[in-house]
Amino acid sequence: MNCSANEVMMLAAKAARGAGAPPAQAARFGVAAAAHLMAGRDDGVLGRALAALPKGAIIELPLAINCIEERAEQGRACGALHGFERSLVQSYVSTLPYTAALNDDDILRIDLTKPAQRTPVQRIDLCDEIYLGWAALAARILVPESAASRQSGAGAGLSDND
Amino acid sequence: MKNFIAPLPQMPLRPPEEVMRLSRLGSMFPTRLSFLRCLIRRLSDEQAQVSQHVWQMCDNGFGHAVFSIDLGGFTYSLVAVSTDLPAELRTDRAIATAWDSAYVLFDGIPDADDITRIVKNAPLQEAGRFGPRDLVLSRANKSVRLFDHVTQALRAGRQPDAELIRDIGYLMRTTAVYGNGKFGIADRASYDTRPGLGGPFAAEMLTVWLIRHFTHALAEHVGRGTLDRETKRHLGVGNSTGLGMAPFLVTHPVLLNNWMMARETALARVCAVTHLTEAQIARLGVLAARASAHLAQWTVSDNAHQARIELLGEDWANAVAVLTPQALAREMPVCAAMQSVRKMSKDVQELMAALLIEPFGDLVDGLADSMADPFGAYAPCLPDTEALRAQIKQSFGWALDVDYAQKDNCGQFWYVSEAKMEPRLGQRFEEDGALMETPLDIARRVQAAYADLPDTAERVSGFLARHPDHALAVERVTLAATYPYAEIRDNLISQKCLPVDMLRCKLSFFGASKFDPKSDRWTRINLCQGAPLADELNWDADDWWLPVFAA
Repeated sequence: MNCSANEVMMLAAKAARGAGAPPAQAARFGVAAAAHLMAGRDDGVLGRALAALPKGAIIELPLAINCIEERAEQGRACGALHGFERSLVQSYVSTLPYTAALNDDDILRIDLTKPAQRTPVQRIDLCDEIYLGWAALAARILVPESAASRQSGAGAGLSDND
Repeated sequence: MKNFIAPLPQMPLRPPEEVMRLSRLGSMFPTRLSFLRCLIRRLSDEQAQVSQHVWQMCDNGFGHAVFSIDLGGFTYSLVAVSTDLPAELRTDRAIATAWDSAYVLFDGIPDADDITRIVKNAPLQEAGRFGPRDLVLSRANKSVRLFDHVTQALRAGRQPDAELIRDIGYLMRTTAVYGNGKFGIADRASYDTRPGLGGPFAAEMLTVWLIRHFTHALAEHVGRGTLDRETKRHLGVGNSTGLGMAPFLVTHPVLLNNWMMARETALARVCAVTHLTEAQIARLGVLAARASAHLAQWTVSDNAHQARIELLGEDWANAVAVLTPQALAREMPVCAAMQSVRKMSKDVQELMAALLIEPFGDLVDGLADSMADPFGAYAPCLPDTEALRAQIKQSFGWALDVDYAQKDNCGQFWYVSEAKMEPRLGQRFEEDGALMETPLDIARRVQAAYADLPDTAERVSGFLARHPDHALAVERVTLAATYPYAEIRDNLISQKCLPVDMLRCKLSFFGASKFDPKSDRWTRINLCQGAPLADELNWDADDWWLPVFAA
């Protein structure tokens, strides 16, 4: 299915929440997942990250990046991002709002004083397997509407032929 | 030597603890910074022209049409599909599967294949799939009462009844205006650097304005006559808005901050005006009187809200009584006017704020450029947990004293519905589903994080390693240090939380008027009422704040 980046980002975030990630980490995974697929990286990494929840990269990678941010002096810092699948690290790094570069040894250098350059957004071809898998995880946080809710939604309680 | 532009003088901003309360957000009025106003100014500056490319409609008004407009060097087209909808299928509810009309804002001028695709897909709405040249997807139902009356009147060779035009104010009302990638349409990021589409919801507002143009054309086609210009101008686009819109303000804290900051800065700037010209004094008088007339024409069916409007009308009469030419000729007159209503209702205060901003386009219109969020939510991390504690006390002190174990303080929960994947609000102690709660309970989360802070200072990352569930709270507190208006300062899961207040805040930024709440969870509104028509963009196009029907 040919999707917008925002569709993929939202779906991935909901899938992460459904798989047990807290909301902030799930949202960050959604952004990284869209960037990952836009960059044509191995989509299996995303599945493995989701499967590892409530532990693993989705929880620990943002924290590792935060640790490097905390050490910044005059806006600059560097630190290692070892122990994660490299392509996933690349995707998380590519979505940071400030200038950041990952070298071949997985050392991240950041400059908080310089905003990142915007990456042009691209369409994403999401294969059925990923789409269905993520949709199934996302469905875990959906709630059947109650009768009370249906009776109080927009348009409720009126004739709309007015 | 560098040349620096001196910042414009301004009074202190109203503090977030005053501005960001739900009850005040629920009293907001559109201003000249509202997105529709910004769009119309832009269209007017460019003297944009709407052209009709396709009009394939049967005599009864069913078929499709394409209207195009140039903006910022790009061409955009509204593809409108009008369908013969049986009365029993007509509903504004989210459960609807068919509508009187469906729309796509297309990037460029659609060819025959594009039109065929859109005519097939647009009526399906959420069940359809769309592509990267489809920028916005929308649908609207007729106000059957007014549409039938208008077309019958035109066929009889007369103009429609002025009272009905005034009381209803639109021929159709939209029930959704989807943007930013929904159902496969284009990502906002793919066009938000284009001139004219960089502002928040600019593409959506362009769509709504073009839908309004279409509804006029459709009524005139079916009625085989021409509406008076004044009548047509007063016919906006209605909208039914429910809970689906409310969480946006919580999930986009930087955007909310930027909207509120622009509005509050505008107010602070006009309050710093030391003396008014005679023309400005006269203008304020005209606008104050227009506001009074607008209030008199704003009638709703809900008794409680009608009483609120009537009370506002009475209070407004007292408020503007002090805006005499003599008073406005004194020093710091705008600030004095704002001060004069400080003890009056929030409705009066917010109406006065909107009024006082209105005549000062030269001071405030540039602020519209700061209302988007091109960089995303980011704020430098706090150095340690003691700094986090201090920031919580400063920005979320209001959230710390609430006992969230009390039923009244946590009686509602937000969730995403299984049927429509739309935000909903449930009763925590009466309905299932709270385990899947959507995290709009920011206040409760911040309090929980605060309670878990260690006695001894440590890095925030160390704290989060032990408490990953507090990451959202920490993120919001960190943002609050940089974005003071990012947070609604009320408990959004309280039994007393009225989502309609959130709707009014957001809709006022769109430029909506004539709020017509049908419950505490959904409202009807009017968009584009009084706005220039397609052939009036070279006219004094920006003067339509709180429109009044003169007929």
